[in-house]
Amino acid sequence: MTRTIASLSLAATLLSLPACASKATYIETGGTDSIVSVGEVDIQDLQRAASGMLESLIALGTLQNAPHQPARLRIERVVNDTSSAFDVGELTYRMREQLVNSGQATVLTAYGANAESPEAQERLKQEAFRRGETSVESLEPDFFLTGKITQLKRSAGRTRQTTYTFRLTLTDSRTGQEAWTKVVDVTKQGQKNAVGF
Amino acid sequence: MIRMPRPAIALVLFAGLLPVACGTVNTTSTRSAPSEDSVATNAQINDLFTEIFLHVRGVRKFPTRSGVLQAQVDVANDGFNTRGFSYLFTWQDERGNPILGPMHVWKTARVAAGGSITISSVAPGPEATDFSIQVRRAEN
Repeated sequence: MTRTIASLSLAATLLSLPACASKATYIETGGTDSIVSVGEVDIQDLQRAASGMLESLIALGTLQNAPHQPARLRIERVVNDTSSAFDVGELTYRMREQLVNSGQATVLTAYGANAESPEAQERLKQEAFRRGETSVESLEPDFFLTGKITQLKRSAGRTRQTTYTFRLTLTDSRTGQEAWTKVVDVTKQGQKNAVGF
Repeated sequence: MIRMPRPAIALVLFAGLLPVACGTVNTTSTRSAPSEDSVATNAQINDLFTEIFLHVRGVRKFPTRSGVLQAQVDVANDGFNTRGFSYLFTWQDERGNPILGPMHVWKTARVAAGGSITISSVAPGPEATDFSIQVRRAEN
């Protein structure tokens, strides 16, 4: 009798094990349940970098001093010089969303696969010139946005540490001088990736 | 009737509180009046352990060079170990409605035992007049 009860208990325990396995679920993007990777750039890192850049840009009021309102931005090259593969648009589009939708800036775009490229905008200017239009001035930016993302990797024993440095600069198109620059560091340390922070 | 010694009772209570305390959030808000469009409370302590060791020591709010507001919050650690935490600033407009967007993201910080740090946030625009901050203990 005792043996039967023990066997039933063991069977019940084994049957309940699959229920404990982690099921796929939706989480808040970049929220505290996100995966933290030691050697990769995660979505929350990009969100924090974009937020830090925006806070600096908004607090200093650089865009308010532009000759045009809203300020005209042309997004140039932002280089991903890290071993982590991600689209730098994940950073710049988050910034654009805030700046453009709040009316603080407008990003110059033309058309085609890469509407922000100078080549696409040059073609638009040429076509406007051929039509005899003089409104091409509207494509002249107040600022150029450029940047670079780098990494520093270190380890001690089995503990790894990576610092991702996000740098962005706004250059005044009239003077060629740097109008705003900001560095945001994100440092992660651990022996293996984890869920939640 | 079984009589338990006091330390044992305390231990049982402590063990019972642990699962409740994990993963909850403390909120401190500069706004005392509820939103004009909703009914809300603005001070909630759900994680007593965070409140005991990590607590808000000072809150400041002032205009930046551009005129938009900046919030600064001093967080002190009265515990015996360095503690990590996550925090989320939520800015509100004049009517008390939250302003959401790409700047509304969770960030992390660590405070040395017995020390304090200042965390800050810049409002997304001139329409922001108040803010609230949620603080959550780090997972590790």
